[in-house]
Amino acid sequence: MIGSMHNLKQMFSGFRSATLLVLCCALFSCASTSMITIEGSYPAPLVNQLPLTLGVIYDDSLSAHSFTEFDEYSGEEQYIINSGASQMTLFNTILPAVFSEVIYLDSADEIASYPELDMIFEPAIDDFQIGLPQKTRLDVYEIWVKYNMRLFSPDGSSIADWVMTAYGKSPQSTFGSVDAGVNDAAVEAFRDLAASFSLGFASIPEVNNWLQMNNVL
Amino acid sequence: MKDHKLSIKIPLLLCILAGLSACTTTEIDQFRQADTQINSDESIVILGRRHSNSYETELDFVECVGNVVASGNDGINVIPESVFLDEMFPFFEPRTAPMRTDHLEQLMQQDVAAEKLEDFGVEYIVWVDGLTQRSGESGSISCAVGPGGGGCFGFGTWTDDSNFEAEIWDMDTLSSAGAISADANGQSYLPAIILPIPLLARVESNVCSGMGQQLKSFLNGSV
Repeated sequence: MIGSMHNLKQMFSGFRSATLLVLCCALFSCASTSMITIEGSYPAPLVNQLPLTLGVIYDDSLSAHSFTEFDEYSGEEQYIINSGASQMTLFNTILPAVFSEVIYLDSADEIASYPELDMIFEPAIDDFQIGLPQKTRLDVYEIWVKYNMRLFSPDGSSIADWVMTAYGKSPQSTFGSVDAGVNDAAVEAFRDLAASFSLGFASIPEVNNWLQMNNVL
Repeated sequence: MKDHKLSIKIPLLLCILAGLSACTTTEIDQFRQADTQINSDESIVILGRRHSNSYETELDFVECVGNVVASGNDGINVIPESVFLDEMFPFFEPRTAPMRTDHLEQLMQQDVAAEKLEDFGVEYIVWVDGLTQRSGESGSISCAVGPGGGGCFGFGTWTDDSNFEAEIWDMDTLSSAGAISADANGQSYLPAIILPIPLLARVESNVCSGMGQQLKSFLNGSV
């Protein structure tokens, strides 16, 4: 009898400790910032390749892109969204499908080492916005990205400088996590950019002029 | 003996709970513009419309309709939506997908897209558009947990309303072959006496089943 009481006491003591631990974890998780790393794969676009050798320089605003969403009440960091790696995966998939050859450059200093280059492309992110259901009162997670695309000749003269926007949304599922919702919306947005870029690149007026002048079209 | 009684009571209780489900009213309408027929070596693809800002047709619903169409002896080959979207990228994305059949004609003028569609052997493209909305939520349920155990008490109810439309495009004639619309609504109840007992109206699954069956009959030319 005494033994069983002792066991019971031990059990309740264990239960109290576990409850305390769970509460501490819950409180800590409320106060901490959630880190979301966007992960996704992108299909190569089905388009006619342009017979051009393209040099690509990834701006830091793209390759190391990180966005911080702040809590509207406390002003503290709520989510940090890292999308740089996924942006690189996206462009590394689109560009070889659109251009016959792509050369990746670390900086503009390397341009002189590749005399075969026809044009240099430098994408950058100008703006990144996120819509969370708890703030927008909509049943979807939303991501909106504004890109600045710069295209120039190997001699440094500008060919085109234009803005592209990408939008993606994913429905809020009953038991889905914020991480999964944001990731899906971001992947949708990046697919949207890939679609617009691959179908619309040759239609950008300045690009179209250059392509016609150089007998590419 | 006591264990034996318990073993009878539990399945009985489960059967009663399974039988208790809320009622759903489903209405399926069909509009035919052209004759349809599909052979066993031909395929269809069912795609969800996702161009609207306020909602998007759920992937799960599209998959559910596809499973119904592909099932049974008269089942039709259905290309999975994600496979088709990736292979046809970027032509069927929310912003680039053809909204009307004349846009489809323009798309088919692009060799790369036309060749890929030919490879797939797609005879019909079915566009599914719609959503399920929840309204009339009322009641409340309170749950409490203590050292001696826990439980819930209360009552909740809500109405689900599903409206979906499937538009069928014939890839031979590049025109619309017809449309099927499915509407359903039902009231769900959630009484809780220690344990919550969900009496759910299976609104969306009824629409999926009804639309899938009708679509299969429509494409086989039997209705």
